[in-house]
Amino acid sequence: MAAVSMVDAFRRDRVGSLSLCVVAFFVLLAVTAPLIALLYGKNPTEHYGQNEPGLLSPEGLPVLPNGGISAQYWFGIEPGLGRDVLTQLLYGIRTSLLIAFASVAVVAVVGVVVGVTAGYLGGLADRTFTFVCNVLLAFPTLLLLLTLGPVIQTRFVGPDENEPAWMQFTVLVLVFSAFGWVPLAMVLRTLVRSLREREFVEAARALGASRRHIVFRELLPNVWAPVLVHITLAVPAIVTTEAALSFLGVGISEPIPDWGRMISRGSEVFYDDPTYMVFPGVSLLLFVLAFNLLGDAVRDALDPHTAR
Amino acid sequence: MIRYLLKRVAQAVAVLLAIAATAFGLFYAAPSDPAQIACGPKCDSAQLAAVRTSMGLDQPVVSQFTDYVGGIVTGRTIADVDGTPIPCPAPCLGYSYTLHQPVLAAIEDRLPVTVSLAVGALAVILVLGVGSGLVAALRRGTATDRLLSGFNLLGASVQIYFLGYMLLLLLVYSTGLFDPPSYASFTAQPAQWALGLVLPWLVLGFVNAAVFARLTRSQMLETMHHGYVRTARAKGLGTVRVHLKYTARGAAGPLVQLLGLEVGALLGGAFITETVFGLGGVGKLAVDAVNGNDLPTVVGTVLLAAFFVVVFVALADLVVAWLDPRVRLA
Repeated sequence: MAAVSMVDAFRRDRVGSLSLCVVAFFVLLAVTAPLIALLYGKNPTEHYGQNEPGLLSPEGLPVLPNGGISAQYWFGIEPGLGRDVLTQLLYGIRTSLLIAFASVAVVAVVGVVVGVTAGYLGGLADRTFTFVCNVLLAFPTLLLLLTLGPVIQTRFVGPDENEPAWMQFTVLVLVFSAFGWVPLAMVLRTLVRSLREREFVEAARALGASRRHIVFRELLPNVWAPVLVHITLAVPAIVTTEAALSFLGVGISEPIPDWGRMISRGSEVFYDDPTYMVFPGVSLLLFVLAFNLLGDAVRDALDPHTAR
Repeated sequence: MIRYLLKRVAQAVAVLLAIAATAFGLFYAAPSDPAQIACGPKCDSAQLAAVRTSMGLDQPVVSQFTDYVGGIVTGRTIADVDGTPIPCPAPCLGYSYTLHQPVLAAIEDRLPVTVSLAVGALAVILVLGVGSGLVAALRRGTATDRLLSGFNLLGASVQIYFLGYMLLLLLVYSTGLFDPPSYASFTAQPAQWALGLVLPWLVLGFVNAAVFARLTRSQMLETMHHGYVRTARAKGLGTVRVHLKYTARGAAGPLVQLLGLEVGALLGGAFITETVFGLGGVGKLAVDAVNGNDLPTVVGTVLLAAFFVVVFVALADLVVAWLDPRVRLA
C-alpha cells in the first residue's frame, strides 16, 4: 500500500488523529519537562513539604484538602517527603518513555532479524525458533522480570554500592527486550513464510538474486507494516509493565521520578490521601489509552481488511 | 488423533524441561550467592558451609540440576540450615530456607486462594469478554457495538493497581457496599467465599476481558463471510441460530487457544491482584519470595506457573484439533 494513501486513511480516522495528538502532547511534556519546571518554579527532588512549615501535618499528610492542591502546588504535594507532584509526574513521563522507546528499538531490531531469518530459512532454524518461542512464552514473564532485576544487580553491583541510574535503565531495557521480541518475531515468521512463496520472490530468485538481496530488498520492505503496528502497541505495554514492577517494589529507585513508584507510595497512604494516587493513576490511564487507540488507528490505516 | 496427542505431549515435556533448566540456571548458577541469601544476613561461616552443602552448591551445576529434576520425579531429603533432614516427597520443588518448609507445601497452602481467584475471574472473562464480543459482532456498526468497544478499550488500558484501589475506596471504605476482600474456604463457607472475592474477580476479569472481546468479535466477523455460513442462512436458519451454531464453532479455534493461555497464567498466580487486595495466594508468595530473596521459592513458583501454562496451552491445542480436523491431520 502506498504511503500516501496510508497517511490519508489515517487522517480520515478522527479518533486516531486525536490519539496521535495526545501521544504527541505527552512526548512534548517529557521533552520540555525542565523548561516547564523552570517556569513553574519547582523541581521534582526538593522536599518542599519538609522545608516549609505548614504544608504537611505532623503525620506527614498534606494539610490542605485534596492532597494539598493550592495555587502554588497545582497537583498537591507528596505525603511524607513533601515533593511537588506536578514536576514528579512530568519527569516520570521521561522515565517511562525512555525505557519504553529504548526497549521497543531493541525489540524491533531483534524481532525483525530473528523472525525474518526463521521464516526465510525454514527447516532446522525454524524448528529451533518455534521451540525457543514456546519456552519463552510459557515463562511467567512478570515474575521473571521481577526476579531478573535483582539477580543482575547483585552480579554487577557490590552490596554496599548504590546502583547507578544508567544501570537500572539498562537492566530494565534488557529484560523487557529479552521477552518482547517473541510475539513480533512470530508474526513476522508467519508473514515471511507466505511471502517467500510469492511470485516476486520467485522472480528475483530466477533472476539470480543473492539471498541477501532477497531478504533486504524483497522481503523487508513488505514487513514494515506489522512492525509499526507492533511497536506502537508495545510502548504502552512496556510502560505499564515497568509501572507494575515499580508497584511491586522492583524497578527504578529513588530519587528518579517514576509513575509506578508514585502509585506504590500512593497505595501506602491511600485511605488518608487518595489524591496522591489519582494523579499518576489517571495519567497512566490516559497515556495507555491514547497509545492503544493510536495502535488501532495505525493497524486500520495499514490494513484495509480490518473489520470495523 | 492419537499421534497428534503423543506429539503434543512430547513437545510439552520438552518445553517444561527447557524452562526448568533456564529457571534453575538463571537463579542458582547466577553469580549471586544463593547460600548467603538463603542463610540470611546473620549467618556465620559454619552455618553458611552447612547451607551450601544442604543446597548442594558444592556440587557441579549439572549434578545440582539433575538432583533437582530427580527430586521432582522421585522426591528427596534436604537438610535445613541447622542440619535437620527434611523429607521432601515427589514432586519436590526444593526447600525454602526462609519459610522453613518445602516449597511445594508452601504453594499447596496458598493454591486454593489462587484457584478461587482464577475460577471467578474466568467466569467474568467469559461473560464480559466473549459475551460482549459476540453481541458486538452480531450488532456490528451499531451504537451497542461502539459502546462495547469503548468499554473494552477502557479495560485494556486501566491498570489493576489503580482500578483496584479506586474501587476499594469507593465501594468498600467510603460506602460499605462490598465487604473488604478476604478469602474463606469454599467448602466451609461458600457464601463468605463468594462475597469476599467478588471485587477481585470483577477487577481481574474486567482487565483481562478486553482481549477476548476483541478476538471474539473479529473472529466472528471473519467467519460470518464463509460459504458454509451463507449456505446455512440460505437454507432458512435464523440469524442468531446460524451464528451461534456454525459461525461460533468456526471462530472458536484462536479463542480456545487464548483461553488456554489465560487459564494457565491465572493459575500461576495473579501477582498484582493478590497484592492489591491483600489475598495470600501463590502470586503473593512469589512476590514476597522475590523481595525476600527466597530463591528456592522463586524457582518453584516460576516452574509451577510455567507448568500450568504449558499444560493448559497443550489442552487448548487438543480441543482445537478436536474442533477442527484440518489441524490434527496437518
